[in-house]
Amino acid sequence: MDDTVKSPFLGKEEHAPAQPSFVLWRPTAKTGLMSWLTTVDHKKIGFLYGAFALFFFLVGGFEALLIRLQLMVPNNTVLTAPQYNTMFTMHGTTMIFLAVMPLGAAFFNFIMPLQIGARDVAFPRLNAFSLWTFVSGAIILNIGWFLKDGPPDASWVGYAPLTSKLYNPSHATDFWVLGLQLLGVASIAAALNFIVTIINLRAPGMTMMRLPVFTWMTLITSFLIILSFPAITIALVEVMFDRQFGTNFFEVSNGGMPILWQHLFWVFGHPEVYILILPAMGIVSEILPTFSRKPLFGYPIVVFSGASIGFLGFTVWSHHMFTTGMGTVATSAFALATMTIAVPTGVKIFNWIGTLWGGHLKMRTPMMFALGFIWMFMIGGFSGVMHSAAPADAQQQDSYFVVAHFHYVLIGGSIFALLGGIHYWFPLMFGRRVSEFWGKLSFWVIFAGFNITFFPMHFLGLNGMPRRTFTYDGNMGWNTGNYIATIGALILGTGIAIYFAVVIYTYFKGAVAEHDTWDARTLEWSLPNPPPEYNFAVIPTVHARDAFWYEKHHRAEIEQEKAAHHQEDLAHGGIHMPFQSIYPLVASTGILIAAIGITAFDSNPVPGIHWKLGLALTGGLIMFIGVYLWALEGAEGYHIHPDEAGPDASAAPKH
Amino acid sequence: MRLTSLPSLLARRGRVVLALGGLALLSGCNFNFWRMDGHQSTMDVSGPVARSQLGVFYATCWVTFVIFVLVAGVLAYATLKFRARTEADEHAVPPEQGHGNPLIELSLIGASVLALVIIAVPTLKSIGYTYDVPAEEKANAYEVNAHGFQWWFKFEYLDPAAQIAGAGPLVTANELVIPAGRPIRINLRGMDVIHSFWVPKLAGKVDMIPNRGNFIWLKADAPGYFWGQCAEYCGDSHAVMRFRVIALAQDEFDKWRKDQLAPAREVAAARQPKAQFAAYRTDWKRNERGWSDQFELSPLDSWRTQQEPEPKHEDPALIDQGKHLFQEKTCITCHNVRGHSVDTMIGGKMQKVEFLGSPAYPNLTHVGGRTTIAAGVLENNAEQLARWISHPDQVKPGNKMYVSGYVANNIKLTPDDVTALVAYLRSLK
Repeated sequence: MDDTVKSPFLGKEEHAPAQPSFVLWRPTAKTGLMSWLTTVDHKKIGFLYGAFALFFFLVGGFEALLIRLQLMVPNNTVLTAPQYNTMFTMHGTTMIFLAVMPLGAAFFNFIMPLQIGARDVAFPRLNAFSLWTFVSGAIILNIGWFLKDGPPDASWVGYAPLTSKLYNPSHATDFWVLGLQLLGVASIAAALNFIVTIINLRAPGMTMMRLPVFTWMTLITSFLIILSFPAITIALVEVMFDRQFGTNFFEVSNGGMPILWQHLFWVFGHPEVYILILPAMGIVSEILPTFSRKPLFGYPIVVFSGASIGFLGFTVWSHHMFTTGMGTVATSAFALATMTIAVPTGVKIFNWIGTLWGGHLKMRTPMMFALGFIWMFMIGGFSGVMHSAAPADAQQQDSYFVVAHFHYVLIGGSIFALLGGIHYWFPLMFGRRVSEFWGKLSFWVIFAGFNITFFPMHFLGLNGMPRRTFTYDGNMGWNTGNYIATIGALILGTGIAIYFAVVIYTYFKGAVAEHDTWDARTLEWSLPNPPPEYNFAVIPTVHARDAFWYEKHHRAEIEQEKAAHHQEDLAHGGIHMPFQSIYPLVASTGILIAAIGITAFDSNPVPGIHWKLGLALTGGLIMFIGVYLWALEGAEGYHIHPDEAGPDASAAPKH
Repeated sequence: MRLTSLPSLLARRGRVVLALGGLALLSGCNFNFWRMDGHQSTMDVSGPVARSQLGVFYATCWVTFVIFVLVAGVLAYATLKFRARTEADEHAVPPEQGHGNPLIELSLIGASVLALVIIAVPTLKSIGYTYDVPAEEKANAYEVNAHGFQWWFKFEYLDPAAQIAGAGPLVTANELVIPAGRPIRINLRGMDVIHSFWVPKLAGKVDMIPNRGNFIWLKADAPGYFWGQCAEYCGDSHAVMRFRVIALAQDEFDKWRKDQLAPAREVAAARQPKAQFAAYRTDWKRNERGWSDQFELSPLDSWRTQQEPEPKHEDPALIDQGKHLFQEKTCITCHNVRGHSVDTMIGGKMQKVEFLGSPAYPNLTHVGGRTTIAAGVLENNAEQLARWISHPDQVKPGNKMYVSGYVANNIKLTPDDVTALVAYLRSLK
């Protein structure tokens, strides 16, 4: 144990700001619970996003293990039908909205501002609001576990009219609707914040075509979020109105159209797939050049193909609906559009291989995950191309073949990259480095377990096993495949357990990482491990695409520049820092209370309606007060002078 | 053969092979699952629609397989060749800082587009072919309606020869009998939530959506017995919403249709009740398989056997008792048995009560001739019938017979009731 590593994100007490003259209370705690609840520091917020996401990743994984245990042998009785349906609904919803998306958001928050040479995101308090609203959504989504209504069980796609009051009378579906709605609010607020940050807060010289690819993917993902989430927001409002107030959007007996839900859902749902994978592609595009010790091959094309994927992602939603009877013209159009999207995706793979070509590949744990990503994503991509052929998809749709496909993309793709990203940026975030042996061991166990689980599912699907089924008979030829898949899931679970044990151990007792641990190329690595509260003591000037690599090879020039910038900062009174604030948390709590009140409403009035109305209004009032005071307290801040804070705060590289 | 990426995966990852091999030894599994020859296989098809879809699948398989081998080969080569072998190697002078090669990029994009064209052509052809009955076969097409309910399938025959005076079209539940060799056009409709009609060996699925006039067409090459299943999550018992398609030669089909048009079979009540009560198994577990291997030796022959009444094994007194129970236990509220009625005291007067039922529930007029009950989940024999009517919730969680029938109306069946009802239902050939 070495105690030279400071607790991450620790501020400097002596620079605690004076209370503003305004009567509104500004919290100043730099440690303890209050500091986390009122923080506006993008690194702390990113850390909290990551911690919540990893917690829910374990919850979703546990749900998955129960699903696999139920299917291990035919006619099994580990779970009842309603329990099983709850498990796959919550597994899907949790993994997508509470694990992979917020884990992406954790990296956006923590890494992106550092990569563009910024001291925080553009709207620090809005960032805190996004975080706490995400937590509120997660609470509502999972609240059913503790109530007699139970958790949602209408599957993660929630097809109408299965979500209607008639077929789903309990409040479980209301929790799902309101939970997703809140998560949407959180995502849109965060995405706007990231877009403004990337457009406005880039360091001098950081032109758009010098942005690190991860930041580019953050930007594209954020645009996807603000363009796609409104569609599901509308759809969820319609379901909510049907359920709470008796409207007829999806009520068939009054002329409602269930198919409308599918279109709105997938107009969101397909871009959502890219919201999950583009950050992963960004992470891999950072890891590969660093560990190959050469720049990304074909940077402009990688960026452009990322943007194309984002754009085309909005033109292919109906390939989730090939079996809904769209007719030959629409089916053909969506089939061809879906094939088209394979081109920019394939281009990325070519460029990653091009990056490896001629490099000096350092086979460290993050690199293992990145290479694993390419292999697994390739397989998932190819089965994706198979789905684009609509007639073949008529057989594969809603079978285990699809289950295999999207787990190759989401685990082999997103999760592999995110786990690799955690290893990659761990030294920067916490100043400690994960043991190579244990890191690689966890990688290989995860890799083997993943393939043993999901590869047989291709065969199961082609052999006619439908998904979302709680039982199957022993005479269908599905026994062996399911048995192997369950064994694989247990191995995968073991691998994840090792991974988490190693990461948690490293956080407390890992080897101290030296500055610029991996000989990396982007600006975040120019900072000390872990970065100080203000990130950059001196805002850097960017001269090349791999900005830090350039700095390392042009030291004299950079030193001169930094000294000049430092003088400018001093002339402005030091580094400006925003005040902390409690009001984002207050506003989110108000939303949470209001949403709980709304879920309790019923289109058929039941006793207790006044109590529920009161709860909804109280929540609304709290939110209003929170937002009002948030506006009133103003975006004020204070100045600090890193020079006086001691050598530790200096941003100069130390080797 | 079949799934093309398997060999490359095995070649690529020795560890996976080892792990799989180790598992095989551990579990004693025979690795025949990759043959994919199950009852619902999409790879071992019996009709032109499924065959066309399979053809497209193979096209995508081969194209992606070739690309996979090429790309994976280069990736594996690059990874091995450019790997830093020693600690010192990692700190050597960095390699040349190249930024890409537009010529390579553009040619790879061109190659990708070409590969996709190879997939697109058969895809477009098959989309047209699988959508509707080809024009030249339209005249020969046989049309039926399929309605999806939570959790069973209802089939209506639109054929003019299958109309029953005063009772509308011929109706069956969960078993669709079709003429082999003729295109069948099926109008699909979801009656509550969305379901999906999927008989993998005959055709890919099409959804049954409320308020939407979907349809599917399929054709069985030859007489056969085919497994189907709902493929869109539709609530609690989605997994046990199954059905069968039985394809018969035209003359056998005609005979079946003629038999179905007749009202339900009557067994003359015996004067001397010789009621003997069979003890049916009662210790069924939830989800337990209700299907015998015997049946599957020749499913179509099992179906034919099922059509024949077995007067020798019937107990007319017991059947009559079951018939009365069918009314007393309110089964007739939902289930139609065309032509059957009982005389019973209502309001102090003897009245004739017909077994009309409701069109929104399975029609039981010829239930004894079906091979399955509970929507393709249980084999239609006395034992499974007894299991189904004793504990429907154990077979199909949330089903209406249990929730809004047994529970809502507080209906209790004694073992004797079950025996009598089974005898009655078995007689409805």
